[in-house]
Amino acid sequence: MAGSSDGAESERRQVLVVDDERPIRRFLRAALTAAGHDVLEAGSVAEALAICPTARPDALILDLGLPDGDGLEVIRRLREWSAIPIIILSVRGQETDKIAALDAGADDYLTKPFGAGELLARLRAALRRVKVEPSASVLTFGPTVIDLAGHRVTVNSQEIHLTTTEFALLRVLAQHQDRVLTHRQLLRLVWGPNYETETHLLQVNISNLRRKVEPEPLHPRLIVTEPGVGYRLRSAGV
Amino acid sequence: MTTEPGPDREPRPAAGGVPYLAYLKSLGLVAVVTVLGRTVLSRVHPINLVMFYLLVVVISSLSWGRGPAVLAAAAGVLAFDFFLIPPFLSLAVHDVEFVITFAALLAVALAIGTLTARLREQAVVARRREAETAALLAFSRRMLGARQWEEIVAAAVQHLGESFGREVVVLLPEKGHLTIAASTGRFKLDDREMAAAVWTFAQGRPAGRGEATLPGVRGLYLPLQTARSIIGVLAVRGSDAPPLTAEERHLLEAFTAQVAVAMERAQLYEEARQVQVLAEADRLRQAILGAISHDLRTPLASIIGSLSTLTGEGTRLDDRTRGDLIETAREEAQRLNQLVGNLLDISRLESGTLKLASDWYDLRDAVATALERKAPQLQAHPVRTALPDDLPLLQMDYVLIVQVLVNLLENAAKYSPPGGEIEVRARDTGQAVEVAVLDRGQGVPAGEWDRVFEKFYHVGGKRAVGGTGLGLAICRGIVELHRGSIWLRPREGGGTVVTFRLPLGRAAEAGESGGGQQRRG
Repeated sequence: MAGSSDGAESERRQVLVVDDERPIRRFLRAALTAAGHDVLEAGSVAEALAICPTARPDALILDLGLPDGDGLEVIRRLREWSAIPIIILSVRGQETDKIAALDAGADDYLTKPFGAGELLARLRAALRRVKVEPSASVLTFGPTVIDLAGHRVTVNSQEIHLTTTEFALLRVLAQHQDRVLTHRQLLRLVWGPNYETETHLLQVNISNLRRKVEPEPLHPRLIVTEPGVGYRLRSAGV
Repeated sequence: MTTEPGPDREPRPAAGGVPYLAYLKSLGLVAVVTVLGRTVLSRVHPINLVMFYLLVVVISSLSWGRGPAVLAAAAGVLAFDFFLIPPFLSLAVHDVEFVITFAALLAVALAIGTLTARLREQAVVARRREAETAALLAFSRRMLGARQWEEIVAAAVQHLGESFGREVVVLLPEKGHLTIAASTGRFKLDDREMAAAVWTFAQGRPAGRGEATLPGVRGLYLPLQTARSIIGVLAVRGSDAPPLTAEERHLLEAFTAQVAVAMERAQLYEEARQVQVLAEADRLRQAILGAISHDLRTPLASIIGSLSTLTGEGTRLDDRTRGDLIETAREEAQRLNQLVGNLLDISRLESGTLKLASDWYDLRDAVATALERKAPQLQAHPVRTALPDDLPLLQMDYVLIVQVLVNLLENAAKYSPPGGEIEVRARDTGQAVEVAVLDRGQGVPAGEWDRVFEKFYHVGGKRAVGGTGLGLAICRGIVELHRGSIWLRPREGGGTVVTFRLPLGRAAEAGESGGGQQRRG
């Protein structure tokens, strides 16, 4: 089960879908409606920026390849006044665009073609962020329990010794559970802004962390690699 | 080095023409005949000696030319009169008939002398022509052998420099300016010289020393002209040498024409080659389009077929059939997606537009991701990994290397029997990291170990197992972008090993020293 569960994911939400392709909007509408949400549609940057302030949707699903501008533009403009969860849609091979969007404030991404299951899972995770209790001090992910206040981690009730850095890394991932964090974001959050390009530090620590925390380090279940983008801590059911 | 004589290899004549020595020699011959005449005078009538003087004149004219021949004629008559006709040692004659003899001797001598001298001159000219032709032929052969224009101009300046004993320079247009393409070394062009070169290039006529245009300039500038256009300028300059003779000039122009022709030929050859390359590429493209068309249409046929059946017959089908059709459409769509991905990959690799997004990554992470992605196909195959804990971080494009591993795992699964074990191994060789994917499948026949990496290649030429045959080609493209290499070998005990090698950057040091983190062995 996910940490700090509060039933947020079962509420009815209003989701704005922004994509210039009608078939995509159609399938998203079908999937989201089936999951119990209301759907608004927009086909361009202009439309999206017009709808958001008035309709105030609860979440945004945004295609990066819009005809009249950059999806990045939408993210930047929205982030000036809104913390609305944003999930971007992009195609394979556009890693730099995805990373830029995530660094600019998007919460997660989906690579076309994707399935409805993935979409709904990421939407749930993104919506959950809004409701996380700031005072949650113990996070549980299957056999792994993270005690933030006590700086302890146990797996199957056995204490695991982590270095300070390893713990910080795990904490950051856990606090963003089920949401992707780019390399840059992780480095900034764990080491500081001057370390944003020190990817090898991240690699080494992720590797060590996995060896200590994952039952099968070569089949990571908890700490998942997002190829070319970053990492995600995956709670069960995602 | 050719040994044919150049036009100025013969001794240069002294001012006035023939060397003084020649005159002396002809006088010497006259003296010799006179002395011989004196000795036989008692037994032979002097009139018989006239022929010998004629002989001397012929010899003189053949050997030394007109001047010495005329001298020999005059001296011969005088000597004849003085030494061999009574009264001896006097130019007077007792017998008046001898005056006719003298006159006749002189006339015939001069005539013969003149004619043979002309003969000799013609022979000299003929020899010179022959030498020039030989030189031209040798030059032309050398030009023929050269394929690139750089070779041509370099050979030209060297050859001409030697033949004419002067500095030679070839100027060719580059980005709108005439620049020196080859030179014998010391020929520097100041503004005036360059102006002459530019004029020649623009007008297509010679300029410089000995010409009507810009005669004050030190070099002689000749246009390199072909039937199509003026392609450059050839310049000749002898620092202290006298101006070229007419023959030398003629020969130089012949050489220059050779150079121009050779360069035009090189250019045309290059153009023809390009056309051939394009034609070949076009042919290949057609073949590929054919293969791709088939591979794309097949899954589409399944998808459209399944979905149209669902829409058309929907209500008449039972749930299970409906489910099957939907599943078929989904699977085939996935297959189509993968195919499209492969085509895009290979296209980007081939066109060189694929740029590596390189950073430090853990190879084991990549292996894990690849295994995860291929989990459905690997269900029937137990997978073993042997990846050392202390494998250094690598500079690589994570997404692409995962692709390589995915393709190799896919092949291993495809060609392995159900239950056949698949292994992934990695090792640090010091210079590089080698990753191997091993299977116990049917293997690849000898002789095809390298060919499998070609685009659209199927083992044994069969397309039975499905897929386009692009997987390994993509692997190779990606690995080579990383400056690595990939190869396939049979496995001991049956099966196949595909190994790829990624050179180590400064990863090893970075991994160990990074932020003071410990790497547990």
